[in-house]
Amino acid sequence: MDAEAAILIKEGLKLIGAGLAMIGAVGAGAGIGIVASGAVQAMGRNPDATGTIQTNMILGIAFAESIGIFCLVVALLILFVF
Amino acid sequence: MDQLGQLGINLGYLLVQITNFAIIFFVLRIWVYVPLVKVLEDRRERIAKGLEDARIAAEARENAEAEAEKIMTEARSKAAAEAREVTVRAEAQAKDIRAAAEAEAGKAREKALADVEAERNRLLGDVRGQVAGLAVAAAQKLIGEALDTNRQRALIDEFFSGVKAGKVTVLPDAGKLTGDGAVVTSALPLTKSEEEAVQNDILKTLGGKGKVDFKVDPRILGGLVVRVGDKVLDGSVSGQLNELRQNLR
Amino acid sequence: MAEEKQSGWRWGVNRWIVLGLIILSVFTSQAYPPLQPHIQLPAENVSGPLFMLLGQPFYLTNTLVATLLADIILLLIGFSFWRSSRKSEGQALKGITGVIEGMVEVLYNLTESTAGKWAKTIFPFFATITLLVLVSNWMELIPGVDSIGVFDEHHIAEEAQCDITTYHVLGMELEAVVGGDSECSAGVVPFVRVASTDLNFTLAIAIFAVAGIQVVGLRAQGMGYLTKFWNTSTLFKVPMFGVIDFGVGLIELVSEFVKVLSFAFRLFGNIFAGSVMLFVIGSLVPVFAQSAFLMLEFFVGAIQAIVFGMLTMIFMSQATISHAHGDDH
Repeated sequence: MDAEAAILIKEGLKLIGAGLAMIGAVGAGAGIGIVASGAVQAMGRNPDATGTIQTNMILGIAFAESIGIFCLVVALLILFVF
Repeated sequence: MDQLGQLGINLGYLLVQITNFAIIFFVLRIWVYVPLVKVLEDRRERIAKGLEDARIAAEARENAEAEAEKIMTEARSKAAAEAREVTVRAEAQAKDIRAAAEAEAGKAREKALADVEAERNRLLGDVRGQVAGLAVAAAQKLIGEALDTNRQRALIDEFFSGVKAGKVTVLPDAGKLTGDGAVVTSALPLTKSEEEAVQNDILKTLGGKGKVDFKVDPRILGGLVVRVGDKVLDGSVSGQLNELRQNLR
Repeated sequence: MAEEKQSGWRWGVNRWIVLGLIILSVFTSQAYPPLQPHIQLPAENVSGPLFMLLGQPFYLTNTLVATLLADIILLLIGFSFWRSSRKSEGQALKGITGVIEGMVEVLYNLTESTAGKWAKTIFPFFATITLLVLVSNWMELIPGVDSIGVFDEHHIAEEAQCDITTYHVLGMELEAVVGGDSECSAGVVPFVRVASTDLNFTLAIAIFAVAGIQVVGLRAQGMGYLTKFWNTSTLFKVPMFGVIDFGVGLIELVSEFVKVLSFAFRLFGNIFAGSVMLFVIGSLVPVFAQSAFLMLEFFVGAIQAIVFGMLTMIFMSQATISHAHGDDH
């Protein structure tokens, strides 16, 4: 195996790795969906508490999304840094 | 550090960005946030004050309204009482006036009626002579010879007055009569002598006292109708004609 | 009735305008097919080295240009607000400053409902972050941002073949990359690149925000705030849970650093992914498709700005509340 082929293989593996890293976004997406559905149900049951629920919903969505963001960061690191 | 550089993170640029953000933060804080919060708080305070003022004003207005209502009620009841009094007085007055007017009117009417009756009696009295003349003339024409005019006249007088030889013709049939007075109705006005005769006769029958009124009613055609108390002695021609009609039927 | 008729008429004209623009873009994309975009993380320099900073030459980067533009916009708004608020003396403001006052007042009411009496301290952080991020996010919707810049042949790989046309407009030479390999677009260094696609920008705001959280916590609770991270009060009194409380404190300490990363990479990831998506959609389907994604990016930009500011606000209001006495464990 010559050096050029090794570089090409490394490039390809990087792309595959970045793609695999983004699989973690599935969990974030599901989590955000669950949070939003729970919040909407809660708002439907208790419209007076909409303000509090919205605040907590955004907080929860942010926490769930941060996992997806970490996936994105890992993918970017794989693509551009290493 | 090289890997961070690959991501584009650079300490110098980071510091520049932090400084930049800090500048923006403090400038906006001075220019926007502090005045804005002040404005908002002023506005809130003013709204609160306005609400308080409005509440006080509303209270004052409510008090004033209650006061006004009380005054109005008092005034209304006073006015109602006055009006009632006035009405009562006015009604009493009106009643008085009406009564006076009615009395006046009644008096006037009675007077007028009396006048009319007197006038009618006078006219009928005038007619009586002519009727007698006519009757005599008609009888002469019928019988074809001249009767005794005086006798004729006496007959006619008797027919009209129901008085025969100083006696009222109907009285003996009636039997015992008692009463304080009598009303005598004739078809034509009686002469003074006739009236006297009737009066005397009736008073004698009744027991010498009482009052005899004379009335005129041409509908009874002739004779007299004497009413004593609740008894009516019908000596009139119309009464006799009715009796005759009943008998003939 | 007349109004209804008129709006119907306007819509009738507008749809022909839209159709005409779509047909026009079909022809222009036939004449000048769009290039494959070049994607890179670090910002590019648009000037020579200006001065030395920390032993390194300092260049004016294109994201810094965008940051300065956003600063200028915000400062103009702030200045006009300041001037009119001094003039108006408690009256409602007129014109554009009234609109801005209304929007900022909404943010203030939100802060007040969450933070209570600390609203006055927290509100400037919340509003500044939201406004600055909003302005710089929406900059990606402006045509020409990310596409107009200096052409630098050094960025292009040597073997690439590029069609470059030179136009003469108003005495200036304008060059346009009209065709060639995907490497050719790397030669264009845009004057303005959206600030939120530079990690320095997002990291700076994140660090400022997290530092602000600590400052607000310290001001609210004094030194008691630090027991949140170094919790030895129950370490020797309660046998097992004291250790757990201490460990939780350490995790809290770590989570403050994670907050920085999370803030920075959330904004960066969303906006960078958004602008990459705009490039890719624009080069794959040059006709009309980008319009829908521009609308999506409009919402994403607004939501990310509000989320960044609101999270800061929520973390700050949590930092003002003491956990040591409220919990019963």
